[in-house]
Amino acid sequence: MTRFSKTIAAACLLLSCAGAAFAQKAPANYPNKPMEFVAPSGAGGGWDTTIRMVAKALADEKIVSVPMPVTNRTGGGGGINLAYMQTKKGADDLISVYSPPLLFIKLNGTSKFGYKDTTPLARLIADYGAFYVSKNSKYKTMKEVLDAIKANPGSVKIGGGSAAGSMDHIVFLYVAKAYGIKDLRKIQYIAFQDGTGPTQLMGGFIDVLSSDIASLRGLVESGDVRCLGITASQRIGTGIVATYPTMKEQGIDVEFSNWRGLFGPPEMPEYAVNYWRDALAKMVKTETWKKIMAEQSWTPAYMDQPEFKAFLDKVNEEYTEIFEEIGILVK
Amino acid sequence: MEQILQNLAIGIGVALQPINLMWVTLGGVLGTIIGMLPGIGPASGVALLLPLTFKMGPVGALITMAGVYYGAMYGGSRSSILINTPGDGAAIAACWDGYPLATKKKRPEAALAISAIASFLGGMIATIFMVLLSAPLAKLAIKFGPAQYLMLYLFALSATASMSGEGKVLKGFVSMFLGLMIATVGIDALSGVHRFTFGLMELQGGIDFLIAIIGIYALGEVFESLKEIGKGKTKIQKKFGRIWITREDWRRIWPGILRSTPLGFVIGVLPGTGATMASIMAYNQEKNLSKNKEEFGEGAVEGLAAPEAANNAASVGALIPMMTLGVPGSGTTAIMLGALMMLGLQPGPLLFERTPQIAWGVIASMFVGNLVLAVVNIPLAGVLVRILSIPERILYPLILGLAFLGTYSISNMTFDFFIVIAFGLLGLFMKRTGFPTSPMVLGAIVGGAIEEKFRQALTISNGSYAVFVSDPITIVLAILTVGSFLLPIIQRRKKAAGGMAGA
Repeated sequence: MTRFSKTIAAACLLLSCAGAAFAQKAPANYPNKPMEFVAPSGAGGGWDTTIRMVAKALADEKIVSVPMPVTNRTGGGGGINLAYMQTKKGADDLISVYSPPLLFIKLNGTSKFGYKDTTPLARLIADYGAFYVSKNSKYKTMKEVLDAIKANPGSVKIGGGSAAGSMDHIVFLYVAKAYGIKDLRKIQYIAFQDGTGPTQLMGGFIDVLSSDIASLRGLVESGDVRCLGITASQRIGTGIVATYPTMKEQGIDVEFSNWRGLFGPPEMPEYAVNYWRDALAKMVKTETWKKIMAEQSWTPAYMDQPEFKAFLDKVNEEYTEIFEEIGILVK
Repeated sequence: MEQILQNLAIGIGVALQPINLMWVTLGGVLGTIIGMLPGIGPASGVALLLPLTFKMGPVGALITMAGVYYGAMYGGSRSSILINTPGDGAAIAACWDGYPLATKKKRPEAALAISAIASFLGGMIATIFMVLLSAPLAKLAIKFGPAQYLMLYLFALSATASMSGEGKVLKGFVSMFLGLMIATVGIDALSGVHRFTFGLMELQGGIDFLIAIIGIYALGEVFESLKEIGKGKTKIQKKFGRIWITREDWRRIWPGILRSTPLGFVIGVLPGTGATMASIMAYNQEKNLSKNKEEFGEGAVEGLAAPEAANNAASVGALIPMMTLGVPGSGTTAIMLGALMMLGLQPGPLLFERTPQIAWGVIASMFVGNLVLAVVNIPLAGVLVRILSIPERILYPLILGLAFLGTYSISNMTFDFFIVIAFGLLGLFMKRTGFPTSPMVLGAIVGGAIEEKFRQALTISNGSYAVFVSDPITIVLAILTVGSFLLPIIQRRKKAAGGMAGA
C-alpha cells in the first residue's frame, strides 16, 4: 500500500465512523432525497434491465415518490461496484441489483468482497439457464449432448456470453455434474463476451450455447435455433418459451436459478432496510410488476430478507463445491 | 422488390409523423453534440436516453437512439478537424487529414464541408444497402467465427502498418507492436494473470484506447505547438469563407466515398468490429488507391472523405445484426438491444414481419435523419469553424481542459490523467521522430480481440492451426494480409528498377 492510498483508506474509515454515528437516526420522512440505484454492469444487460424495471414499477405504482435514477457502475464482473459499496458503509440511499455472480466473484478471486459485505434486502425474480443448438444440430436432447461429453469431452464445444468461471459456464457445469460427468474441467467452454454467441452457434463454430431464456427467443421463433432445455423445475413463460423442456423432464434431476435481488451497502440503517423491504413486498403484488414479469419471461421469486439471507448461505455452499471441482476456487 | 417498397412506404409513413420527426432531429442533434465532446461517445449518449425510452415508446426510442448513433459520427470528426481531438474512436481518421487540411492548408471550411457531405452520402447509401440487403448480409455475419475475425484483424493491422509511407514501413510495424503491447496491459481475462500492471490497481482494467488517442492527438498537438508559440508563430485564422467545397474537391472525393461506403457497411455488419475499424480500413484503402499518396497526412481531401463515409456506413450496418439476429454489432447497439428488450420487443429474423412499422420506421427515419443532420451540420460548421480564430494562449488551455475532462468521463479515475499525459508525450515523440501513429492506435484497438479470437479459434479446433486457413474467407484474408505486407517491398523494387532505367 502506498502512502497515498493509506491516507485515503484512513480518511474513508474516519468518514464511515462518522457516518455510522449519525446514520441510525431515521430522518423524519425517509426517503426524502433521490436514491442511487446501481446496475453493476453496462446499460441494457440483465442487471440493468432488472433495476430499471424495479424503479419503473415503484414509481408507476406510486410506492416510492423520490427519484430513483440508475447508475451503471461497471467492471470486474460487479466487483468494482461491490468495492464502491464498501466506501458507503451505513448509507441509506444506495441500492444495487445482484445475482449469482455476486457470490462467484468472491469464489473465483476477482473480488475480495462477497455477499456478506452487503445488506441483502429481497430476492425478486428468477431467470434460468437455457441451452441452445442450431437448427441443423445432430443433438435433439440435452441427454445426447451430455452423453457425447461423457464419451469424449473435447468433442462438444460449449459457448456462452459470460467469462469462464461465471454465469453461463457454471450453469452448464451444474447440469453436467448432476448428470454424473466426473471431470468437469475437461468440458470445453468458450466465452464470447462481446455478445456474438448466437452468431457463433448459427455459424456452427460452437455446438451448444449456454444463455438465458429471453435472449434467443427471436431466433427460436424463426426456427434458426432450438432450445434443448431450461434449468427451471417446471416449464415457464408463455408462447414459444412454454415449449422449452426442463432438465427434469429429460431425466436430469437439476435446477439452477439465476436469481436476482436487491442489496444495500454494508450496515445499511434499519429504518432504510425496513422501508425497502416493505416497498418491495408491496411492489411484487402490483399489476405493473406482474406485467413486466410476463414481458421479460421472468419468474416471480420474491423472498423477504430473512429467507433471502438463508438462501444465500445455502447457494454459496453449492457454488463453492462446483468451483472447487473445476479448480478455480480461491480460498 | 415490390414488397420492399411497400414496407418502406409503411416506414416512411411512420418516420414522417410529426412526433417522430421531432425525435429524429433531437437524436441527431444530441448525437452531434455528444460526438464532438471527447470521451463521451454514442454509447454513453444512448445510455443517457435509456430512462426516457419507456415514455417514448419503441418507435420513438429506437429512432432517437439511432439518431444519436449516426449523429455522433457527424459530430465526432468536428473536433478531430478543428482541434485534433477525436470526439470518439470512429472520428480518429479525421485527425490524419482533416486537421492538416484545416490548419496547414488553411481550408477549414472545406474540411468541415467534406466531412458533412461524406457522412451524409455514406449514411444515405448505407441505408439503401440496408433496405435491399439486410437479409443476405445477416447471413454473412454468421460466417464469421473466431478464426475469420482474427484474420480480418490481422489484415487490417498489416495493411495499416505497411502503408505508413515511403521509408517508414519498419517504423509502421514498430508502432503497430507498441499498440499491441498497450493492449496487453491489465488482467488477462482467461488466466487471470496480471500483465504490465506494476502492482497498480488502476492498471488492472487495462488502458482504454480512447484515453490513448486523446493523449496522442490532443495533448501531442498541444505539446508540439508549445515550441512554436514561444517563437511567436501563430496559426490562428481570421477570415472564414462559406462552408462548401470546390468542384475539384468533389472530383477527388466522390470515388472514395463510393468505395468506402460498402466497405464501412460490411465491417459494420460484422458484430464486434465497429465504426472505428471501418474508418481506419477505409483510410488505408483510399491511400492505397490514390495517386496522391504523398499528400496523405498533409491534408488530402480524399483521406478525409473516405473514413467519414465509412464510419457513418458502419453505424448503419451495425443495426442489422442487432435487429435481425438480436446480436449487438457494437457497444452502442448493445445498449439499443437492451432497450428493445426492455420495451418487450423481440429482436430476431421475425422482427421485420411482426412489427414492420417499428423495423421499417427506424430504417425510413434514417433517410430523414441524415437529411436533417446535413441541414443542421452545415450552418453549425459555420459557427464551429471560428474556433480557429481563438488565440493559442486561450485555445490550448481549453483543449487541455477538454482532454482531461474527456479522460475523466471515460474512467472516473484521476490516475488516468497520468496515462493521458504519458500518451501525449509519446505522441510528441512519435511525431518528432517520424513514427506513424495509426498502426499503434489500431493495434491498441484490436489487440485484445486478436488475443481472444486466437484462443477461441484454437479451443474450437482442438489446437489445430489449420483453422486459420480453413475456409474461403480465411484464405482470402490470409492472402490479403501477406499481400499487404509484401506490397511496399515490391513497390520499392519496382521503383528502384524504374529509377535505374531512367538513369
